[in-house]
Formats: sequence, C-alpha cells, structure tokens
Amino acid sequence: MSWLKSVSFSGEDVFDENADELNLQSREWSSNMKRRVRDGYVDGVDAGEEAALQQGFNLGFREGAAQTVAVSRLKGVVTAIWCWCESQHPENSAKQTVSDLLRQVTEHEESILEDIKRTLENPPPSVSDISEAMEDLGSMPAGGCCGGEKCEKSDCCKEGGKGQTVVPQQSYRSLDSSHSLENKFAVLLQQCTQLVTELGLPLELTAYIESLR
Amino acid sequence: MSEQRRSDDLFDSIVMAEERFRGEGYKEGYERGAHRGLQEGRRHGAVHGARLSAEVSFYHGFAVMWQCLLQNHTDPKSRKRMKAVEALLSQLERSPLDNPQSEKLKEDMDKLRAKFRQVCSMLNVPADFRDFFKSAQGTSF
Repeated sequence: MSWLKSVSFSGEDVFDENADELNLQSREWSSNMKRRVRDGYVDGVDAGEEAALQQGFNLGFREGAAQTVAVSRLKGVVTAIWCWCESQHPENSAKQTVSDLLRQVTEHEESILEDIKRTLENPPPSVSDISEAMEDLGSMPAGGCCGGEKCEKSDCCKEGGKGQTVVPQQSYRSLDSSHSLENKFAVLLQQCTQLVTELGLPLELTAYIESLR
Repeated sequence: MSEQRRSDDLFDSIVMAEERFRGEGYKEGYERGAHRGLQEGRRHGAVHGARLSAEVSFYHGFAVMWQCLLQNHTDPKSRKRMKAVEALLSQLERSPLDNPQSEKLKEDMDKLRAKFRQVCSMLNVPADFRDFFKSAQGTSF
C-alpha cells in the first residue's frame, strides 16, 4: 500500500512515462502538420502568382493606356503646330509661345507616367489589410466594425450598416493629385485653343482639342 | 493479418491528413499569391500601356493637325502629303491597343512608326526635332 500512498502524495501518475511519450508524439505530429501547411502555402503562393501575372498585366495595360491618350494627342497637335510655324514663318514670334507650350505638355505627360509608376508601387492598403491590423491592435472584432447596428460612432457604420471600414478602393491616384493634374491639363488645352485662334489655324482643330477634355 | 490491415489504415489516414493540411496551406497561399501577382502584373502592364498609348496618341494628334491644315490646299504637293497623313490616320484606326498579348501588336507598331517617319519626311519635319520626340517616347516596344 505504501506505493499507493507515495503516488497520491507526490501527485505523480504511474503512467507518467507513457503520458510523456504520447505528449511528445502529439507535438511531433503537430509540428509535422504545420510544416506540411507551410510547404503547401509556399507552393500555393508561387502557383497563384504565376497564374495571375498575365491577367494583371492585361488589366494594367488597358488602364495605363487610357491615362495618356489625351495628353499625348495634345502633344502631337502642338508638335505639328511647331513644325508648321517653322516651315511657314521662321521668324514668327509665336514660335516661342509654341515651344513653351510644347515643353509644358511634355512635362505634363511625364508627370502622368511618373504618377502611374508611383501609384502602383505604393498601393493604398486594402480593406482587409486594415481590418487585420485593427484586429491585432484589439480595437475591432473580426467583422471589421465596432458593433454593427448598435454602433454609436457616426462614421463607422455609415456605409449602409454593412460594417465596412471607410477605406478608398485601390484607386489609381490620390484624389488631390488627380484633381491638380486635371486642372493643369485644362489650362494647357485652353492655351492651345488660344494659340490656334491667334495663328488663324482651321476651326476643326479647335473641335479636336475640345474633344480631349 | 488484421494487425497488418490496421497499420495500413493508419498509414493511409496519416498520408491523407498530411495531404489535407498541405492542401489547405496551398489554397491559402494560392489566394495570397494570386493577389500579389495581379498587382505586380498590373503595375508592369500600366507602365507599358501608358507608354505605347502615348506614342500612338502622339501620332494621332500630329496627323489630325496636319489633316486640318492640308484640307484646303489643292496643289499636288499638298495632295500627296494629305494622302500620307490620311494613310497614317487610317492605320491608327486599324491598330487599337486593347490586347497587349496580340501578336499583331508588334507588327502594327512597326508599321505605324515607319508610316510616321514617311509622313515626317514628306512634311519636311526638321531632323533634330524628330530626335526630340523620339526620345520623349521612351523605349520602343
């Protein structure tokens, strides 16, 4: 009976050895399975990336192409005007005005190209990135909203009570930069139209320039 | 024999479990990778599309301006120039930039550039200026 006493007092289990063994095996199993998941994950990432690259390229190609149509057409027009000035009136004082305008349009085109490169290099965070970060901070439940219908915050569940955080969609440019580029372009169009009128060039050209707006 | 079968079953279920975990990891990784690939591809595509469109649109604006200018001139020289300009414009119309994977794209771009050079020489566009807007186009396709 003494062994029984020693067991109850020491708190040890007579099957301790086996329990250790089982515990070790279960940890090994767990670690093996985690490794499988990781291996699968890595392979999955590679496969997914490869599959989506071309699709992304095609999408981006169309998006990028649309960005430069107007400014580059304007550049073509102004370049042609410059050539015409050069051939018709080599001493024309308007040549300097045309050169300046051409330089500005070219710079504008370059800003658009830079903007495209920059925007997609640093995309704004997606809704899921933000809600994940918020979860980590412990300030929001997994649903991404503070409390659903009972939410008191004014700008949280405003979006139809769906509980989405208010984050802009993956937009091409920030609103500010977009506005200023548009304004700048409108000014350039205006200057070109004025030039066309001053030089007495055909009115159809004005219509074409307007179509670029 | 029943012990052999038991150990086979056990083995099978271990392999199945491994595959299942691997599969779950794969699925999650695939989604992540696809998102990344889409963004990466989109970035490259956008830069490429913007450049190509800039070049093509430049030709368009240039040609339209000359078309407007030449339409009221009926002398033979002007008529020849007009023909070249209009040929460039119709070529531009036939070469939309909607499919970057199209094999026709490279061929179209080469033809457009050749036509543009021809129009420039007919219009006596100064050589040094031609260099200016060539370099402004960036890399060719």
